[in-house]
Amino acid sequence: MEIRAEQQAQALVISVAGSIDALTAGEVTRFFSEQIGSGNPQIVADLSQVDFMSSAGLRAFLGALKESRQQGGDLHIAAPQPGVEKILKMSGFTTILKVYPTVEEAAAGFGT
Amino acid sequence: MTWELRVIQEFQITRSAELQSLPAFRDFIESVLKGFPNVEEQVRYDLKLAVDEACTNVILHGYAGMNPGSIILTLQISAQAVRMMITDFGHAFEPNETPMPDVGAGLDGREMGGFGLFIIYQTMDEVDYETTGSCNRLILTKCLEADRTGEALEKPVSSENFEEDLTC
Repeated sequence: MEIRAEQQAQALVISVAGSIDALTAGEVTRFFSEQIGSGNPQIVADLSQVDFMSSAGLRAFLGALKESRQQGGDLHIAAPQPGVEKILKMSGFTTILKVYPTVEEAAAGFGT
Repeated sequence: MTWELRVIQEFQITRSAELQSLPAFRDFIESVLKGFPNVEEQVRYDLKLAVDEACTNVILHGYAGMNPGSIILTLQISAQAVRMMITDFGHAFEPNETPMPDVGAGLDGREMGGFGLFIIYQTMDEVDYETTGSCNRLILTKCLEADRTGEALEKPVSSENFEEDLTC
């Protein structure tokens, strides 16, 4: 699993690649928490390169969503692959966070 | 109650009960089932997801307070269904007594845990759990698209046969 951040105009884009499972979710949680705690509460999670995600990933993003909103921001999910989108939907996460088909649209969702 | 399956082929992998083993279980499912054209990509994904959740529960809870033992994953494949049996030697649990998360809750009411078993029930057509004094077995069955009615699953197998079926 690889993770990196890129500051864009409207949000910090955090791109994750690989699998998010119970083995790797802790690293995702720490990375998002560090970025949000460093004054970047508006986050786009680019999941286009995530080929597998379990419930451990759901917990990681639920924690990041709560932290970002506590800091006055939000977490937008971008470009999930079909399997990842399915788990987001079946667990009801699409009712509490916004999912966009592309990173550009997810960033634009924060406005200017 | 477990339903009999007309098994065509069976495959098995054993790994230690630690989180580092999770990719091996998923890769095993992918590599075996890729050779079966009737098992579509989305079905393979569901199977990998369910096994990942099941093995994670065993690793984090089944072997809690114990030295990590092993997990045996057995794949049985028929023309109409795939069955996965996950055998461990840790603490037993009762899936029917495990509370399900409220997936309709708002952000404030969201619990951080409980999704693993929920996802297993959502992705599998049949979930059974059996335990003896020495080992536990979670049995997950996924019907293939050609047979969503359950015709692949025939008569029930008596649970009395369970102990002699197990190789604990």
